[in-house]
Amino acid sequence: MAAILAAGITHWFGSEPALEGVDLVVERGDHVAVLGDNGAGKTTLLRILSTAMQPSAGALEIMGLDARREKRRLRARIGYLSHAAGLYPALTATENLAFFCDMRGVDRTRVPEALEAMGLTHVARRRTGELSRGLQQRLAIARATIHDPLLLILDEPDASLDAEAPELLARVMQKRTVVFATHDQALATRLGHRTVQLRKGHVMGAGSRLHVVH
Amino acid sequence: MRSIAVALAVARKDLVSEWRTRELVPALAQFVVLALVIANFGFQIDSTTAPAIAPGVLWLALVFAGLVAFGRAFTAEKEQSTLEQVILTSAPPAAIFAGKALAATALLVLCEAVLLPALALFFGTPLSIPLIAAVFLATIGMAALGCMFAAMVAQLRAREVMLPLLTLPLWIPFIVAGGQAVQALMGGQAAYGQALWLLIDFDILFVVLTSLAARFVLDE
Repeated sequence: MAAILAAGITHWFGSEPALEGVDLVVERGDHVAVLGDNGAGKTTLLRILSTAMQPSAGALEIMGLDARREKRRLRARIGYLSHAAGLYPALTATENLAFFCDMRGVDRTRVPEALEAMGLTHVARRRTGELSRGLQQRLAIARATIHDPLLLILDEPDASLDAEAPELLARVMQKRTVVFATHDQALATRLGHRTVQLRKGHVMGAGSRLHVVH
Repeated sequence: MRSIAVALAVARKDLVSEWRTRELVPALAQFVVLALVIANFGFQIDSTTAPAIAPGVLWLALVFAGLVAFGRAFTAEKEQSTLEQVILTSAPPAAIFAGKALAATALLVLCEAVLLPALALFFGTPLSIPLIAAVFLATIGMAALGCMFAAMVAQLRAREVMLPLLTLPLWIPFIVAGGQAVQALMGGQAAYGQALWLLIDFDILFVVLTSLAARFVLDE
């Protein structure tokens, strides 16, 4: 069974099409890099795959569940890193993760481990608003993986990260199905098993081993 | 049990954030005191007119402080891009909403802790447990409605305009019943007990309705 099965995904913002008839099959364990210029539709596609947004048209099945009807069940299995870090600036790094553990019904004992995995132990007690953008990005990645999701959706995960980003992301992506958007062709080649090229809301081409239905 | 844990976690997070930033409560407390000062100068206050004017001033100050407090509850989440992350956790939307409403209620109660003694000071009105009970009961229902509409308009650019337009008409029952209760305590003709039961009825009605609507407001 495919991890993601999307057929004819179309989305409009007003009268402007953001995605038009995107068909995509992602097998379990695959790491798919979504490439494209600004405005190509990468973020819209990732938001739809994360269930943050419903497509205007098309069918989407994730891990055998209908993304429209089974949103809440799916969300328990998906980790999503959005463009914005989406962290509480007045709370410490530990408190942010502990809060999202409570939201997900996950044991708070995972927090120290998650902070260590992201190299954030030294800033665990610092307020998130005081952290650099790169450290906030690391914390947001820790939040996206704190519940050990089967599917990871990462929107420009390398943004603001330092030279260690590829190793860090490779560790995070291990043993998971991952769809990530990036502008960095080298990172896409290094971390992705397959690539999807988006242009003006259309899939223009696919790299090796990608199964794009057209 | 999960819903209660989620609601308490959301409320605790909001209250800790407010305690550390002190963005809202000091400003609201100043606002309600200033409103009373202006009313004190604007009206001819003496021992005979105070019981008639004070309830109106109390509810006006409370309504506008409430609009700011409840509006801020979701605007801050929108600005920080955190609301989407919370919704995507699969936590029950009704529990998330209940937590937000609980925290907003607590913050408004803090303002009332300034407002009611200040009202007693400026207007010479009695500060009693029944008065606090009436105001608190009204706050619960107003918070439920205020937070629901605040969540609805959080995505809009004109949210500062839309929130009062949507909320104020539905707050009228609380202002009427709450006003009657306060007037009764200040020597008016209204029946306090009847007004209090009416407030409890409205609270139950709107807390249930907003909890049911929370899923559609937060998730759709």
